[in-house]
Amino acid sequence: MKRTVPRSTLKNLLKKHKPQLRLGGNADLLVHLNFLLFLFRLAEEARTKAIEEKSKIIKYEHVVSSAKIILKKSRG
Amino acid sequence: MFTHYVKMPVTKEALEVVERCMNVYFKQLSNDLDAYATHARRKMVDPADLELLMKRQGLITDKMPLHVLVERHLPFEYRKLLIPIATSGNKVIPQKPT
Repeated sequence: MKRTVPRSTLKNLLKKHKPQLRLGGNADLLVHLNFLLFLFRLAEEARTKAIEEKSKIIKYEHVVSSAKIILKKSRG
Repeated sequence: MFTHYVKMPVTKEALEVVERCMNVYFKQLSNDLDAYATHARRKMVDPADLELLMKRQGLITDKMPLHVLVERHLPFEYRKLLIPIATSGNKVIPQKPT
């Protein structure tokens, strides 16, 4: 697994949504951490969904239904 | 990254959905950060804002502080920047803002 953090990409992404906002200190690293945890939660949820349906692979609908839950959970 | 976390095969369509989720997620994230920063009358996003965000997402709890999450998920180079480490000569790097 790649372990480096795409710091400038993260900054550009945030700049695209909120051009007036600046990231101070090492805040971008924390954004990355937050993002990783988001993916982690999504993965867990999708996996449980797939196991419930006794499917060996993760399919489209598993991700869609778990994405709804996790995006709701990750509101600030 | 996603494929690393699921530890299971994933279909192509599912990965596309993950990508779209990421976009939605970043949109939410930037909105929230904007709200926190403007509320504090700042134009900069502080690490404290991110901490608050993660608290509200239920990631940081009393049992799971931020430092533990950093240690678990980020590589050492970045951990060094985020968590102050005491070195010899009673110096702490990076310096804590007072």
